[in-house]
Amino acid sequence: MIEVAGVHKGFGHQPLLRGVDLQVPAGRRYGIIGPAASGKSVLLKLFCGLLPVDSGEIYIDGTDITRLREDGLMPIRNRIGMLFQNYALFDFMSVIDNVSFPLVRRGVEHDEVVERAVARLKAVGLAGSEHKMPSELSGGMKKRVGIARATIAKPEIVIYDEPTAGLDPVTTSKIYDLLLADQAETGATVVAVSSDVTALMRFTDTVAMLHEGRIRYQGPAATLRDADDAVVRQFVRGDMSGPL
Amino acid sequence: MAPVGDTSVAVGGVLSRLPLGSLAMVEKKAGPGGDERRPTPTFAYYRRGVLGERYLSSVGASAVAIAREAGGITILAGKVLRSLFPPSMDWRELVRNLHKMANRSVPIVVLTAFFTGGIMVIQSGIFVKRFNAAGLVGWASGYAVFREIGPILIALMFSGRVGANNTAELGTMTVTEQLDGLRALAIDPIRYLIVPRVVAMMVSLFALVVIGDLIALGGGLLFSKLILGVEYSTFYYSLVDNLTPGDFLHGLIKAAVFGISIALTSCYFGVSVRGGAVGVGRAVNAAVVAAAVSIMLLDFFLTYLLG
Repeated sequence: MIEVAGVHKGFGHQPLLRGVDLQVPAGRRYGIIGPAASGKSVLLKLFCGLLPVDSGEIYIDGTDITRLREDGLMPIRNRIGMLFQNYALFDFMSVIDNVSFPLVRRGVEHDEVVERAVARLKAVGLAGSEHKMPSELSGGMKKRVGIARATIAKPEIVIYDEPTAGLDPVTTSKIYDLLLADQAETGATVVAVSSDVTALMRFTDTVAMLHEGRIRYQGPAATLRDADDAVVRQFVRGDMSGPL
Repeated sequence: MAPVGDTSVAVGGVLSRLPLGSLAMVEKKAGPGGDERRPTPTFAYYRRGVLGERYLSSVGASAVAIAREAGGITILAGKVLRSLFPPSMDWRELVRNLHKMANRSVPIVVLTAFFTGGIMVIQSGIFVKRFNAAGLVGWASGYAVFREIGPILIALMFSGRVGANNTAELGTMTVTEQLDGLRALAIDPIRYLIVPRVVAMMVSLFALVVIGDLIALGGGLLFSKLILGVEYSTFYYSLVDNLTPGDFLHGLIKAAVFGISIALTSCYFGVSVRGGAVGVGRAVNAAVVAAAVSIMLLDFFLTYLLG
């Protein structure tokens, strides 16, 4: 379970998160939506301890990670797989080396590493691209390599930052089907941020909306369109008129 | 036309760049009801104050920036040191970096060192002829190459080629979140990326200086014969009779220290990049300048300490 309590985070004198509270139950698919530059990606990085909070607590299965130093965060991060918004592929490694990297670092046998990496690349529709370098890939392909790398070690918590940005509608559906199947198989806790609200609502069971540094809505994805809050309704429906 | 003594008009653009408090003070002094015993501030009077303040603030800001960078490099050095005892690094990364940094630098070092040996002979030629000092050419070349020219020249070249490349590579990895990607995979970027680079750069520069010294002497030997007509044997005995292993060691100690210095500065500026591609460019520039300055400073202190 991920629990965020009163988290504040800013950059310089510019506050970004102003007291975020949310709970992600174990084994659930949780979506975070919000306007651009509302701090969604920053919040995901806080979950991994990649950025320090200014104040507040973040509990991963009862451990407050905001009190841990870099060494103490390593065991927590071993349980998390993360897809970055800008892929963060290692550009000095081939596609298959990128995907197999988490397994290699965990000391998995070479043959098993290759077998799982090839299977994972096939699952994300990149069979035959094993030996390409990241610089030879399109944005959508890089995103899929990032998904393969984030999920290959079957982590307990998976964090996706814009998993389908830059992908066409068909590939987007395929990717979400894959993520659903993965989650069903592993029972992982999934947190996803996406600008594609409709697709995210189909993928997740709970959604939170981040607005002006706070969680404006947290509840079932199914009822998001009919939320009482006019701001949430307008954002989800994409209406031109309203408080936003 | 502005009335005489109206400083708010006279100082024009300068006033607009002043802190609010200063502006209020000027108005109080110069305006109606101000202290008439004090002279009204003139443009020159004011400009001196503004420029002085600006100069001091710019010196202060530079000092703070230098202290911050030096502190950052020291902290990085501490982290690298902590990772080395006991040794904990990615050996594949070390080998990859040794190949990239040492092997690929050999041709340029050989070329530079060979002609450096020749240049030294040309420079000393006039004195050799004037004082009939052919017996000193080998000693002079060896002494200068081993103790100063070899380590400094090769270190500066290494900094420009390898250090700048290292900063650009790490800087790009930083701005494209690859370092965060490593951390998210529970991999310490210091152990995985920085330590192998620091070790590889130290070993590489050490090895390149050994190679460069030998090639420079080879160049000196050849050009002594071709330009000054000094026999090979004369050059050789002048070298081995007058130089000690300590002279060679002197340069190698410098090479190792310069290697560490270049590695730390280039890695520090690489991982502390902010601001995308422009930031990477600035970091490379800063790393090369900082490495060159540190090489010169360290050379001064090492020469003083080692004698």
